Amino acid sequence: MTEMFLKYFRTKQQKVESEKTYDTQCPFCSMQCKMQLIEQSIVTRRTYKTIGKDNPTSEGRLCIKGIHAHQHSFHRERLKYPLLKVNGEFVRISWEEALDKIKENFTRIQTEDGQNALAVYGSASLTNEEAYLLGKFARSALKTKYIDYNGRLCMSAAASAANQTFGMDRGFTNSLSEIPYTNCIILAGTNIAECQPTIMPYFEKAKENGAYIIAIDPRETATTKLADLHLQLKPGTDAALANGLLKIIIEENYINKLFIQERVNGFEEVKEYVSSLTLEEIEDITGVPIAQIRKAAIKFGKEETGMIFTARGVEQQTDGSIAVRNLLNILLSTGKIGKAHCGYGAITGQGNGQGAREHGQKADQLPGYRAIENEEHRAYIASVWGIDEAELPGKGVSAYEMIEKIHEVEITGLFIMCSNPVVSHPNAQSVINALKKLKFFVAADLFLSETAKLADLILPSSSYLEDEGTMTNVEGRVTLREASYPCPGEVKHDWQIICEMARVLGKEKAFSFTSAEEIFQELRVASRGGKADYFGITYERLRKEGGIIWPCPDMGHSGTKRLFEASFSHPDGKAVMVIAPNKSVVAKDQTSEEFPLLLTTGRVMSHYLTGVQTRKSAALAARNVESYLEIHPTTALKYQIPDHTLVKIESKQGCIVVRSKWSETIRKDTVFVPFHWGDSQNVNLLVSKKLDPDCRMPGFKVTAVRISSLMEQFIQ
Amino acid sequence: MAKQKLILIGNGMAGIRCLEEILKLNPDRFDITVIGSEPHPNYNRILLSTVLQGRTSLADITLNSREWYNQHHIKLFLGEMVLKIDTDNQILLTDKLRVVSYDQLILATGSTPFMLPIPGVDKEGVISFRTIEDCQIMIETAKKYKKAVVIGGGLLGLEAARGLLNLSMDVKVVHLFSCLMERQLDQTAAKMLQTELERQGMLFLLEKETAEILGDGRVEGLRFKDGTEIEANLIIMAAGVRPNVQLAKDSGIETKRGILVNDFLETSIPNIYAVGECVEHRGIVYGLVKPLYEQGRVLAKRICGIASKGYEGSVLSTQLKISGVEVFSAGRFEETPDSKAIKIYDEIAGVYKKMVFKDDKIIGAVMFGDTSERGKLLEMILKQQDLQDIEKVAIFPTSIVESHTITSLANSELICNCNGVTKGAIIEAVQKKGLSSVEQVKICTKASGSCGGCKPMIEELLSYINSYDFSEVIEKTSFCSCTSLSEDEVVQKIQQLGLTSLSKVMDVLHWNTKQGCTKCRPALSYYLAMINPEYENIQETLFLNDRMNATLQQDGTYLVIPQMYGGMTKSEQLRKIADVSDKYGIVDIAITSEQRIHLMGIKEGDLAGVWADLNMPMSSTYGNKVQTIKTCIGEHICRCDKQSSLHLSASLEKRLEFLTTPYRVKMGVSSCLHDGASCTTKDIGVIGMERGWEIYVGGSSGRKVRGGELLCIAASDKEAFEMVTGFVQYYRETANYLERTWEWIERLTLVHIREVLFDFELLRQLLDRLEEELSLRKRFYEKSELSTFKGL
Repeated sequence: MTEMFLKYFRTKQQKVESEKTYDTQCPFCSMQCKMQLIEQSIVTRRTYKTIGKDNPTSEGRLCIKGIHAHQHSFHRERLKYPLLKVNGEFVRISWEEALDKIKENFTRIQTEDGQNALAVYGSASLTNEEAYLLGKFARSALKTKYIDYNGRLCMSAAASAANQTFGMDRGFTNSLSEIPYTNCIILAGTNIAECQPTIMPYFEKAKENGAYIIAIDPRETATTKLADLHLQLKPGTDAALANGLLKIIIEENYINKLFIQERVNGFEEVKEYVSSLTLEEIEDITGVPIAQIRKAAIKFGKEETGMIFTARGVEQQTDGSIAVRNLLNILLSTGKIGKAHCGYGAITGQGNGQGAREHGQKADQLPGYRAIENEEHRAYIASVWGIDEAELPGKGVSAYEMIEKIHEVEITGLFIMCSNPVVSHPNAQSVINALKKLKFFVAADLFLSETAKLADLILPSSSYLEDEGTMTNVEGRVTLREASYPCPGEVKHDWQIICEMARVLGKEKAFSFTSAEEIFQELRVASRGGKADYFGITYERLRKEGGIIWPCPDMGHSGTKRLFEASFSHPDGKAVMVIAPNKSVVAKDQTSEEFPLLLTTGRVMSHYLTGVQTRKSAALAARNVESYLEIHPTTALKYQIPDHTLVKIESKQGCIVVRSKWSETIRKDTVFVPFHWGDSQNVNLLVSKKLDPDCRMPGFKVTAVRISSLMEQFIQ
Repeated sequence: MAKQKLILIGNGMAGIRCLEEILKLNPDRFDITVIGSEPHPNYNRILLSTVLQGRTSLADITLNSREWYNQHHIKLFLGEMVLKIDTDNQILLTDKLRVVSYDQLILATGSTPFMLPIPGVDKEGVISFRTIEDCQIMIETAKKYKKAVVIGGGLLGLEAARGLLNLSMDVKVVHLFSCLMERQLDQTAAKMLQTELERQGMLFLLEKETAEILGDGRVEGLRFKDGTEIEANLIIMAAGVRPNVQLAKDSGIETKRGILVNDFLETSIPNIYAVGECVEHRGIVYGLVKPLYEQGRVLAKRICGIASKGYEGSVLSTQLKISGVEVFSAGRFEETPDSKAIKIYDEIAGVYKKMVFKDDKIIGAVMFGDTSERGKLLEMILKQQDLQDIEKVAIFPTSIVESHTITSLANSELICNCNGVTKGAIIEAVQKKGLSSVEQVKICTKASGSCGGCKPMIEELLSYINSYDFSEVIEKTSFCSCTSLSEDEVVQKIQQLGLTSLSKVMDVLHWNTKQGCTKCRPALSYYLAMINPEYENIQETLFLNDRMNATLQQDGTYLVIPQMYGGMTKSEQLRKIADVSDKYGIVDIAITSEQRIHLMGIKEGDLAGVWADLNMPMSSTYGNKVQTIKTCIGEHICRCDKQSSLHLSASLEKRLEFLTTPYRVKMGVSSCLHDGASCTTKDIGVIGMERGWEIYVGGSSGRKVRGGELLCIAASDKEAFEMVTGFVQYYRETANYLERTWEWIERLTLVHIREVLFDFELLRQLLDRLEEELSLRKRFYEKSELSTFKGL
C-alpha cells in the first residue's frame, strides 16, 4: 500500500470508520498466491491493503505484484460500460445494444463468409470455467473451428514436449513440496526470481539442504545468482547444450540402464546421435566452455535425485518443443522421474496457464485435455453438450496463424477475450494491420488495451476481485479463487458475457448458467475420463482442502501429487526419447553484418505480460516506468551508446526506441528488452513470425538486431 | 522464585557481551555482579589503537557506561581482584576481602600481554599495549621523548607503532620473523605491508631477537642476540598475550594454555563457565573479537537454559586498523600440497588478492590494498562455498568495475525490491530494535518477506553492521543545539500544540536559549508558515502582493522584476518599463539568466510610484522558492518547435510563483532532446520527446553537478503539468527545511515519490492542497491591494 508521508496534515488524519476483508487470489503469475484485500473507509476515502494468506503453494507469501494488484482493479480507467466505435470514437452504449450489434454482425459474417469466418481468441488468464465455456461457445454456439488463445505463446512448447515424451502434459510432474529435498536442480531459461518470486523459497530451501543448482540463461539474473553454476549460453542454443550434457552423461556412464530398459523408448537412437557430436562443436555453438558443460553433466548425473525446470527461455524458440524434449531426455536417461524428488517442471507463466490449456480453448483440443480429432473424445463431449458429434468443428490453427488467416480474408470477424495480441504477438505490426482489416471485431477487456483500441465493440469485463472461479496453478493444483467485490458500472464477468452472447445467438439453453460453480459442475463431467480429470473436484472440497492436484477422478480421490510412478501415459506405458538436432529445423536468426546482435526478451519483477494491468498500477509503474535495453558496456561503447539514453533497435521486422541500461552481466553478443510495453516500445515489433513446427510457438527469444543511438541520428 | 546469583569475573568485552545477550534473552532471571580488575567500565579494547592514532577519544570507546550497569541493576566492583574460588561451596574471595556467593559463575579473565623474560624488562618506559593506562603512558611519553621501539610485528604491534608515529615519535619495529603478521599474511602480502608502512615512516628490524633492555632506571636502548644495539626511550612489548588462567588453575579448574571448555563453554567444574580470551576451546585460544562474541552468544543461551547447537569454533579473520592500509586475512591462507590458489597481484595499483581452495571449496583468503570484498569472501569461507571458475574471477572485480558490495551501497538503495525496503531502513531497524537475524529483520521491516531473494544481502548487511568497520550511524539527531527534539518532532509538536509564533515554540518546547540560533530561527519561521499560511514570514523581500514586491539590495536600494512568463514579453511591456525607468532615473537595467529584466537601484521612496506606473505582475524569486524556469528559446543548436515548451513553462511559472519551498527549486523546460535548457541538471527538468515529456528530478548544477533521474514520461502537457506541480507540492509537504530535492529524493526514494504521484487519488490530494493554498494567497493579495501601501 502506498501511503504519503505526512509532515503537516497529521491533525487531519482520521480514524478508520469501517473495514472489510475480501478473499481472493493474485491475478498474475502461475503461483496464484492466495491473499486478502482489506478495504478501510476513512470519511469518503478508501484505503487498501493486501496481505498474503496461507496455502500449500505460496505458503502465504506475496510479491510486489500481488501486494499492489488492487491498484489496477480500482483504476479510474477501468472500462465500465460497453463501448461502440462510431466514426473512430468510442461511445457508451447499453448491453442490449451491444448484444444486438454482436448478433447482427456475427450472423452477417457467417452468412457472407462462412461458418469459420468468425474466430475466437481466448486467454490463459481466464478461469477454468470461462476457458471451458469459451471453447464450448466457439464450437457449439458459433460452430467455428477457429479458436485458440494466448497460452499458445506461453506453454505450447512445454506442453507438446510433455505430451510427446510422457504422453501427458501436466506442467509439474511433482508437487512443489518435493523441490527442497532434491539433490541437483537444472533451471533452464527460467527467471523465477522475477517471474514467480514466491516460488523461490522452495529452491532456497533446496540449496540450504545442500542441493547443487545449475542455471542455464544468456543473462545473469536474480535467479542465476542463486545457482552454484551458471551456464551463460548464447540465446537459442539450449538444444545443443542439452546434447552436450547428454553426451557426457552417457559416455561417463551416469545413465540408469534398468530404467531405460523398462520404461523408455528411443534411447539407442539418441545415444548414437550424441556420440556423433563433439564437445568442441557444442562449445562453439553454445559459447559455454566444455569444462562447465562437463561439470554440470557430472553433477547432475552423479546425484541420486535431480529435477529439471524449464520456462520461456528454452520454450519460446522455433525449436522450443524439441529443446525441452532434449532436457527430458536427460531426465529419462538418468532415470530421474517418477520417483521421490525427481521430475520435471514447466514453470508456466500465466495465472491459469495450466488450467486454460486443458479445457478446450486450444485449436486442437476438447475439455479434459481431449483431442478434437479423436472420434471417441468428440463423441463424449458432443454428448455432454447435447449436440450431434458431426456438428463439432475440427481442428483450427494456432494463435499466430489465425492472424494470418485474417490477412488471407478467411477470417473476417473476431472475438477476443482478455488478451492483447497487438503487444504479445511476434511481428506485431502485422497483427495491427490484420485487426484493422476485420469486418467486425469485439474485445472483452478491463482496459482500453492496445488491442481493444482497434475493436469495433468493447465489452467491459470483471477483475480478479470480482470474478469467482477456479484456477489451476503451476503445480497442477486446482484452486478456488473466491471473489465477492461488486463489479463497477455495468461490468459483467467473462462467463456472463459468453452466456449473454449465446443467448442473443439463440443458444441460451446450453448457456443458462447463473454462477461459476454451475459451469464447474458441467466442466467436471466434461473432463471426466480425460487426462485432465477434474471429476472428483468440487467447490466445497476446494474450500476445505485448499486445492487439489489433478487428475482427481472421483470424490474420494485426494489428487495426484506425483505422476508417472508406475508408468508413462503412452499406450505402451513407456516414455519416448527423441533426437534433438543441434540446429533448429526452422532456422533461427543469425547475426550478420547488418544485424550484428542477438536480442532476447523477458519479464521484470514489477510487471506482467503486456502490462495492461501492471502499467496501470501506481506502485508497479513506479518501479519500471518504461522499457529498456540491457546491454554490455563494451558493446554499448562499440555502438556509441551512453548509459540511460534512447536507442533505436531495428530488426528485419521493425524498429523500436527504448532507453539503454548498461549491465556488466549480459553477454557481449546479446541484448535484452522486456516485453511489457506497447507502441514505440513494443519489442515484439522486432520479432519474426517464424514458428516452431511442432507446437506453433513463435521464436520470441532470438532476433538479430542492430542498434544505434537516437541522439546521434538527430545531430547528424 | 528468588533470582539466581550470577557473577562475572572480568569486566571486558567478551564477558559483558555475554551479559548483554543474557539480558536480551531473560532480563529478570539473574542477580548479576561484575568484578573487574581495571578501574574502568567496559570499553572497546580493539579501538585503543585508534585512540592512540588520534582518531577517537577515550569517551568514544566506552561500550557500557555506569548508567548501563545501573539500569540493569548490575553490581559493579571495579579495581578488585578475585583471589580464590571455593568451588565446593560456590563462594569466592576478593582482594578487598569481600566474600560473595554465586549460583552461576562466568570467568572472563582475558589475557595478559606477554613480557619477554629478559634482563631489564622491569625498567621504566617498558610497557605493553593493552589498557587505557598503557595508552596514557604512551601519550605522555611522546611529549618528552622521541625514540620508540615496538617489539613484535603482529597486528597489535603494528597498530601501536602507527599510533606512536601519530604521536610524532620515531618508531622502530623489532620482529623475530622475516615477515610481518606472519600468522595472518603470506610472504607477498607481508612484503607489501612492510613497504607501505615504511612509506608511512616505520623502520623495521626483522629477524632480530631481543637479548636485553638497557638503561639506568629508565630504558635507554636494547641489545639483540647478534650483539647490535639501538637506542630507545620507550619500548612497547607486543609479543603476544597469555590467557589469564591462574585463578582458574588455583581453584582446581582444568586448564592448559587457557581454561578448558566444551562446546557449551562449560569448564570442568559445574556451574562455572568461561568465555573470551582466557578460554581454550578444541585446542584453540582466540584473541579476536568475533569469536569471543560468538562464544558469548552460545554461553548466554546455555546459562538461560535455551537449547543451541553449541560453539563449534570460528573461522579467523583479521583486519588491520591502520588508515591507508587495507589488509584482510581469513581462514587458512597457507598454500599446501592439497590446496590450490588464485592470486591477483597488481604491483602498479598495490593490490594483492589470494584465495585458497581445497576440493573446490574456498578455505581462506588474503587481501592487500583492496579489501572491499572481504564481507562476501568471509561469508563464502564460512559457508565453504563450492565455486565455479568464473565466479572465482568475479570475486576479484577489476578496479574499473563499480563494486556492488553492501558497504558501498547508499542508504537509500533498495535491498528488498519486493517490499521496497532500503539499506537505511534495515540499519535503522537493526540499531533501534537490536535485531540480529534475517528472520527478525523480516518481521520488523518486511525485507525478504516475499521472494526471499535478498536474504543473502541482508545476511551480509547484518554481519557488516556487527563488524567493526561499521560506522554508518542512523540515529536521532536533534534539530539544533537549542533543543533535544528532532526536526520532525518539533514540526509535529507545532501542529499538535497549535503553536503559532517563534516565541511560543521556543517557550512551550523549552528551548534552552531565549532567541534560538541561526539554525533554528529560519527553519522555524519556514515551518510556521507551512503549517499556518497566515503566518507572516520575515524575509528580506518586500512582498505585498503579486504586483507590489521588491527585493532589498545590499546598498539599501530595491530591485524590481517585471514578470515575463516563459521569458516572453511584448513591446507594450517593454515600452512601459522604459518609460518607468526614465521617470525614476533607473539606470541599472539587466537582462539576466533568469530570462527576466531586472530594474535595480530603486529608492525605497520611489517603490510605490514604480509599482503604480508599471502596473504589471512582478516576479519575486528571492529566497527559497521555485525559481523562474529556464527555457530554450533562441538556442542555435536546433530548429525544433519551441511553442509547446514555452507554453508549458509559462503555465508552470504561473502556478508555482511565490510558493515557499524548503530550498530553492530550479527548473528547466526544453522542447526537444537537444535539451537547450540543461534540464538534466535542474531540480526539475522537462524535455519534450516523441513519446511525451521526459521529466527529470533531483539534478543540480551547483558546485557538485548531479544528473537528474528520470521520474516519468508524461504523455500530455496536462500530465506533465500535474506531475511537476504534484512533485513540487509533495516536496514542500515532506522535505525538511533546506533539504535539496536530491537529498529529499534519496531519503524518500524515487520509487516512493513515483508511487505517490502515479496514484491518481494521492496526486489529486496534492494538487488540491496546492490549489487551496493558492486561493488563500489570492485572498491575501486582494486584502493587501485594498489597504494600499501607505508606509512608503
